Amino acid sequence: MTKKVIIRSLPSGVPGLDNLLGGGLPEFSFNLIAGTPGSGKTTLAHQIMFSLAKPDYRALFFTVLGEPALKMLRYQQQFAFFDHDKINESIRFVNLATELLEGDFDRVLARIAAEVKAYAPSLVFVDSFRSVVQSVKREDQSVSDLQRFVQQLGQQMTSWQATTFLIGEYLAPEQESSPVFTVADGILWLSQNMHRNSMVRKMQVVKMRGQAQAPGLHTFRISDAGIQVFPRAIVQQSEAVTSATQQTAGTKRVPMGTPGLDEMLGGGLPVGYSLLLVGPSGSGKTILATDFLAEGARRGEPGVIAAFEKSPSQLLNNKLSELVKTGQVGVINTRALDLSIDETLHDLIEMITRMQAKRVVIDSLSGFELALAPEFSEDFRGSLYRMVAELTAMGMTILMTSELEDRYTDLRFSPFGSAFLADAIIVQRYVEIAGQFKRALSVVKVRGSEHSKDIRLFEITDKGIVIGETMSEYAGILSGRPTLGPD
Amino acid sequence: MKTSDLPRHQIIESLKAPHTENVADAAINLWEQMATQIISIVGIGGFNSLYARSVFLAQSTFPWLAAALQSPQPDQRLAELKTCLEGQTPAHASAANILLLITFTDILAALIGEQLTVSMLRSAWGNDAKYSTSKESKHD
Repeated sequence: MTKKVIIRSLPSGVPGLDNLLGGGLPEFSFNLIAGTPGSGKTTLAHQIMFSLAKPDYRALFFTVLGEPALKMLRYQQQFAFFDHDKINESIRFVNLATELLEGDFDRVLARIAAEVKAYAPSLVFVDSFRSVVQSVKREDQSVSDLQRFVQQLGQQMTSWQATTFLIGEYLAPEQESSPVFTVADGILWLSQNMHRNSMVRKMQVVKMRGQAQAPGLHTFRISDAGIQVFPRAIVQQSEAVTSATQQTAGTKRVPMGTPGLDEMLGGGLPVGYSLLLVGPSGSGKTILATDFLAEGARRGEPGVIAAFEKSPSQLLNNKLSELVKTGQVGVINTRALDLSIDETLHDLIEMITRMQAKRVVIDSLSGFELALAPEFSEDFRGSLYRMVAELTAMGMTILMTSELEDRYTDLRFSPFGSAFLADAIIVQRYVEIAGQFKRALSVVKVRGSEHSKDIRLFEITDKGIVIGETMSEYAGILSGRPTLGPD
Repeated sequence: MKTSDLPRHQIIESLKAPHTENVADAAINLWEQMATQIISIVGIGGFNSLYARSVFLAQSTFPWLAAALQSPQPDQRLAELKTCLEGQTPAHASAANILLLITFTDILAALIGEQLTVSMLRSAWGNDAKYSTSKESKHD
């Protein structure tokens, strides 16, 4: 009987990376970490190394010319994962500059082989082989020599019964035709994308033999703790199906916390629905969203809010900050202006899981779009779609607010064309009645459910939103200047 | 004294050659052990730049320390150091070498941290205990 080889998967120790790799790093694989200068290659390698290395699972790290080893040690120490105790005991650094200066590839190879033999490591890193390449070009050696070297190194590395990594500078996957790319079992590509003054780091698993890696580019961030990857949300077929069945079942409803609104929605908002609340500035969107969270808190359903309109320190209103203080509502810290949707989604999911939340508020999509790096703004609709799909698949009921200035000549529900994403839509707008600005709201859509078609006046009072009479005697409300209909 | 209670400084002090006649040999021996270890981690270039800087700084106290030649080979630099030390009285040579070692490791520690520096020195010179002074000798 033949048994299939079972390839052990090593946890990379980089948050989010294992998801990208399709489980982890295959043991004894030969991997390439490539990217432009400053893209985080060495940091990634170090983080993996410090996480995996143990006295009985040792790592050998070869430095070549690339980054002076002194500097590398100096700066890598700043990361939380850098563990002094592991050096020498589980990790050994070896500098190959001497061999390389003499311009002899065979000596470099021999030295690497000898060190590997002597130390018997389970992990081997060579940083950075591009500098090997360049130093050789200067020495007037032929390129074929170099390719032979890299190939030999690759082959040697495969035979060491070690998980190996080559770290090198490359510009783009397409531009390279080096034989290592063929030999490598895994290729991790790191890049920094500039778009209108903002920089976004991205990682791509170009290749990972024998594993279903997550395709495409995924954002990552380098902080004091090291690298964190935010796998791009990909709508799973199965998820889409379950959420559809959930929706058709749609019997369970979530009360909104605003008196009268549940009736308008046909008995509350169905569980797992996403509701888009559209209205001009000051129309009471955040208040309605707060009531939604407060109602959840009252019923023991914690909520999470991603608030982009104000900084978290000056929280939106007293009622909301009270909910946050008592721990019934979690706030997503929306940091800089270079967020990616996936990062926000990651933070949301983390907090949802931790708080076992049932309700999510995104206030507002307009603020969210602003907080994103410009690069992501362009694909805002698509990313939002993935995000909403992911959250609803978790069974969350979502309320998203969207600011939309009143246009009295056309009827629009969202500046992003994202209305189709929402299972339900509520529109708020200003109308002029008897020389006063009044607020009106209406339920435009509740997918698969009856709902009120009324346009009703509402007021914002100290106690929250009070929904008033139906404006049935008026006509032309959407024009902003309703007239009393003919009686 | 600024930092002489640092364990690293104490290690260096404790390595002072016990016999006065072979100060230079003992000093070079220490340097060679350390150089091997440091070069294997940070490369020759790293070692050379640290060494040149240390000699420059130590010259303000011991002007007779040779201005480092631009020799790329650490063993030539150390041979040069040996010649310098041999030209001095043992006490003088010993003091100069200790200052040079302390300066060198100070720079290294400033760059890569005390902890990593000490662990590199320990792997070069063996454990603390092996060289510890009679104050704490358990192995005698």
